[in-house]
Amino acid sequence: MPSITSFNAPHAHLLLNHIPTVGAVAALGLLIVAFIRRDEGLKLVGLEAVFAVALLTLPAYMTGVAAYQKLRGQPGIADGALRLHQDVALYGFTWMEFAGFIGWLALWQARRHGRAARGLVATTTALLFMALVVMAQAATLGGDIRHPELGGAAVSIPVADFLASKISDVMVNSPWAWPASETVHFLGLSLIFGVLLAVNLRILGVMKQVPFADVHRLLPWGMLGFGANLITGMLFFVGQPKQYIDSAPFYWKVVFLMIAGANFLYLTVFKNAWPLEGTALEGSWSASFGDKAMAIVSIFSWLVVLYGGRMLPFLGHAF
Amino acid sequence: MGLLTWLENLPLSTWVHESTSIWAQPTVLTLHTMGMGVLVGASWVLDLRLLGINRNVPLSAFRWVFRAVAISLAVNLVTGVLLFMARATLWGTAFPFAIKIGLVVASAATMLPIRSYVLSSDPNQTEVSGRARMLAIASILAWAAAITSGRLLAYTVAG
Repeated sequence: MPSITSFNAPHAHLLLNHIPTVGAVAALGLLIVAFIRRDEGLKLVGLEAVFAVALLTLPAYMTGVAAYQKLRGQPGIADGALRLHQDVALYGFTWMEFAGFIGWLALWQARRHGRAARGLVATTTALLFMALVVMAQAATLGGDIRHPELGGAAVSIPVADFLASKISDVMVNSPWAWPASETVHFLGLSLIFGVLLAVNLRILGVMKQVPFADVHRLLPWGMLGFGANLITGMLFFVGQPKQYIDSAPFYWKVVFLMIAGANFLYLTVFKNAWPLEGTALEGSWSASFGDKAMAIVSIFSWLVVLYGGRMLPFLGHAF
Repeated sequence: MGLLTWLENLPLSTWVHESTSIWAQPTVLTLHTMGMGVLVGASWVLDLRLLGINRNVPLSAFRWVFRAVAISLAVNLVTGVLLFMARATLWGTAFPFAIKIGLVVASAATMLPIRSYVLSSDPNQTEVSGRARMLAIASILAWAAAITSGRLLAYTVAG
């Protein structure tokens, strides 16, 4: 008897899998309308939507992998169709993350200079379009898994030819791939901690004389660490998915990663600290109670993300 | 060798090593990792400032870095000693471990002259001397090497 709090990966995937495609259509629509109307404000809304969709594509992909491990081998389920869906989803995920990164860069720049560089917004739009095309293909292939009557062709690709198989092969069999990725993961973690500590401490009232715009300049370094850890983290996940998909600390790690990511977006775009720029009040801005609460949530979330990862072998069953 | 065996057989050491409690090895190790993130991250933020990121922000605004470094260094000293005691005969005789400790000490040592440079700067000083920039480069690289050597201990020694 499943309890109301029990977590079922295939169900979660059926819920989350609509976000990348539907969300990407919505974000693409916003950006196209913004271009036609030359509406700078709407462009920013579109970019924020791109970032949010990029963030939520992560649990969409991960619950999909978990669903695959649960469903494989069941009667009426073709392994090839599952693997192909998963592999195309991995390509779509990759395009979506690129769109998210460039979109974030455009938002960061817009916050500093009043408007995003046209090239960055155009690049984000193009990457988002590519992501949408590939993710739509993944969605179609996903539908074929349960609906062979719709005419999806039978898949006869050798297992070793899938991207996920190739990544897994390197991660498991190379003596260096796993340790090197772990090392990069730890370096990235330190970069994230340092930058978010600086930004959040400023919000909490440390170094009050420094304008928020100056700590805001550090955010791309935090994003560099986040990018390095997304790539290495995905290498672990695709390399050895069984270590993670049934793991409670990993589940919480991803949940708090979403909170930390939303907070990162807020730190990038929030206006409260900026209107004082150039005035006599510039250096003495004090954060509101809400912003201070947000800063504490941010620090706490990153600690939980680290805790969930470090506890994988102990609370979960990794390694 | 006798000393290491004695250390490893202390009740505290065997508790850290053998207890199935989540508060033993798992929590000590996780605190060590959190301390690492704060220690290295805060150091890097200051190093980046010395190398020219945010060159208009006065150096005096970065005093909080030394408090963060001091607190996280204390956390990692305590947790590090506990982790060492738990397997003293293993770590105490492993050359890669000695390399890691050497790199951590060297990295922390770069923060001392940086600290006195920043603390003795004028309240509004923004320019950075060439020597301080060299120290910042050394600090960034030394911390990166320390993390690398520490992470690889899981493969070189305790694999």
